[in-house]
Amino acid sequence: MTDSPSAPHQLDLVPDALLAGRAADGDTAAFEALARRHGPVMRASARRLTGSLADADDVVQESLMQAWKQLHTLRDGDAVKGWLLRITGSRSIDHLRRRKTHADLGDLDHRLEAGARTAEKEHPEHAALSGSRMDALKAALAALPEEQRRCWVLRAFNDQSYEEIAQTLNISTASVRGRLARARISLAREMEDWR
Amino acid sequence: MSTPSDALSCGHSLADLSEYLDTGQIGDPGHLAECPECQSGLASLRRLAALGNELLDADTAAAGSGSDDWMKTILGNLRLELRPGRSIPLRADTPGDVLTETEGSVSALIRSVADSLPGAAAGKCRLYGDLTEPGAPITVGVELAVVYGHPLEQRAATLRQELATVLSRQTELNITAIDVTITDVLEPRNPGPGAPAAGAPVAGAPAPTVGPGGPPTPQEKP
Repeated sequence: MTDSPSAPHQLDLVPDALLAGRAADGDTAAFEALARRHGPVMRASARRLTGSLADADDVVQESLMQAWKQLHTLRDGDAVKGWLLRITGSRSIDHLRRRKTHADLGDLDHRLEAGARTAEKEHPEHAALSGSRMDALKAALAALPEEQRRCWVLRAFNDQSYEEIAQTLNISTASVRGRLARARISLAREMEDWR
Repeated sequence: MSTPSDALSCGHSLADLSEYLDTGQIGDPGHLAECPECQSGLASLRRLAALGNELLDADTAAAGSGSDDWMKTILGNLRLELRPGRSIPLRADTPGDVLTETEGSVSALIRSVADSLPGAAAGKCRLYGDLTEPGAPITVGVELAVVYGHPLEQRAATLRQELATVLSRQTELNITAIDVTITDVLEPRNPGPGAPAAGAPVAGAPAPTVGPGGPPTPQEKP
């Protein structure tokens, strides 16, 4: 089938629910419009969770593939962003589990910070405005124990509930509550100087 | 689950406050308003939440636009395929031949007709009836979004007419009704090529770009 010529421009105006409905019907152009719209925040989340931009792109690609296959299970098209981010969270954690078998955790923090520095070079004006404070947060985040950082990112970036985080990480909600609290206490303490 | 350092002298812990921020639930809500320790703990956790949002916005901006090459590469790798749906039998000129078209190809045809109307875009599109039985009555249901400023009823009527023509010419379906539902009125913004030229009111300035998913900033200009 040919793509309709007006699709790319017109679809960018169209609300999520409509695009999700079309994509569930099998419309590839509508799905691509959703991917363009929500891809950047998926990439941002995957980058913080995996600690590397290359891994983040793999995760975004896997997540979009899964989303395309499972779109018919999404009941509320307006919730498509949260749904995509939940998939991104799960795929990121899977990616980390796979990687852990052939790489040690030591280089993870390093890569996370390296990613942060690259991001700043790409956006110098933003860095000048609030860079040092954001630097401090990135460093504090990188210094957290891995399982605490995952909880924090899934809550703050992916906007997941305790139950959803518990499912993604395969731990109890009580553990989510505890890890999230410890992550926040450490981060808040680190950030006290940056008020 | 508390760590020793997170206990406050009032009996609450920072873990309680952390959960309260997410769920709005805590044992004695009345205590919070009066306890300076809890207030200061909450303020500190809220500052952190604001910083977290700031980091999300910065990271999302740094991730680049969805129109950039990285996303083009990903979409190229995915090679999405139109879902075929049900098989619709076609009349064969030679006895013994079995010809079919797919439901997905008919849906795509319907969407392309709707998308070609000025200021309109198709939403969900469904074919009701037994498609696999030649000549069975079929009802078409199309959802339509129309850009603000375009006449809704006229667009719906035009779409109904054009679909009737196109479907009778390009398919063998026995279409008994075409239901068009207007589900959205879209705000016009930054009309690109192919968007309605005149007639649609356009705001004086281009809409400020807000980071995707970012909360609206509370700054208001006088």
